[in-house]
Amino acid sequence: MDFIDYYQLLEIDKSATKADVKKAYRKLARKFHPDLNPNDKAAQAKFQQINEAHEVLSDPEKRKKYDEFGKDWKHADQFEEARKQQSSAGGFGGGGQSRSYSGNFNDDTFSDFFEQMFGGRARAGGSHRGAHFKGQDFNAELQLRLSEVHKSEKHTISLNGKNIRLTIPAGVENGQTIKIKGHGGPGIQGGPEGDLYITFNILNDTSFRREKENLYSTEEISLSTAALGGEIQVKTFNGQVKLKVKPGTQNGGQVKLKGKGFPKYKKEDQFGDFYIIYKVKIPADLTEKQKELFQELKKTGL
Amino acid sequence: MRKEDLIPAEEICVHYNIEHQFISALYESGIIEIVTVKETEYIHCDHLADFERMMRLHRELDINLEGLEAINHLLNQINKLQEDKRKLKNRLDIYE
Repeated sequence: MDFIDYYQLLEIDKSATKADVKKAYRKLARKFHPDLNPNDKAAQAKFQQINEAHEVLSDPEKRKKYDEFGKDWKHADQFEEARKQQSSAGGFGGGGQSRSYSGNFNDDTFSDFFEQMFGGRARAGGSHRGAHFKGQDFNAELQLRLSEVHKSEKHTISLNGKNIRLTIPAGVENGQTIKIKGHGGPGIQGGPEGDLYITFNILNDTSFRREKENLYSTEEISLSTAALGGEIQVKTFNGQVKLKVKPGTQNGGQVKLKGKGFPKYKKEDQFGDFYIIYKVKIPADLTEKQKELFQELKKTGL
Repeated sequence: MRKEDLIPAEEICVHYNIEHQFISALYESGIIEIVTVKETEYIHCDHLADFERMMRLHRELDINLEGLEAINHLLNQINKLQEDKRKLKNRLDIYE
């Protein structure tokens, strides 16, 4: 656990007045407020840091403790004892009046440094930051393999100690976020529950490339097959299929197997297409016989 | 639309400690939707998150209504751009 320089975080120096702290905090809050930086985890982390810095530096008692023992936080207990001798009033309650910012995210993550120095109950309190009625929205990331989202499957995910069983619709896309209504935090004073947002991180464990409901596969064919045509075996998601290669097939040419692609998201029994892209293999090591034959072909103008 | 998904605007005013005027102004700016049933105004719970976001920005960053309107517009654009970026990124995978 490292020391956190709250002054540096708020970009102020140690002589900053309470008004300076407030001004600096508000300036940074306008920049990093989570509501102004959707899906930006770095901004959210920064916002939490500046919130924490503000929590400490805007509270005279916390600031005093931090200034005296900040770098030497392990000995902060000494300060605590000295303080107790001076006054019998318990706890750092002053922070409760300070104005803090919220944002609909889990703001219960002050640093270990803060917790160690001021204790878990020292903060102004996330629950009454801003007014809340609707429960907090939760964000979760779910990693699945491509082969797992080929069919709608039931998954059990564990969130905050609770198991949620849900059906992931076939064809969900990488990076896609779905909303599970009512599976967020509980509503406050009869308010509706928050929602759960799940973002899918889909790892491709197949040899195919995918875009939405279409699949792509590159198949190598010999020069003679490309020129004369022929039959090849192609692997699709549902097994091997025989495919006729047209005579005169070009390198990079593609054929479409209609309906052999990936399931369409939330469209039952509808599938995308499977594209085969031909890669014509140019022979590198020719035998004497082959060389002769190519010479013959050359004479014909090929 | 299910009745239980609708939250009376009056109830929202009480819970968030705001004037009804603020809700009306957000509605007029096209930021939130209001459903009127038998002369009572409601906000659909799916739109509550949008409303809360605007309220936080208003209260915590002192952003006035014109500012909220501009922010709402820009946030919608960011969302659209992020979605486009995701789709393009997935599309790029087919060339790799």
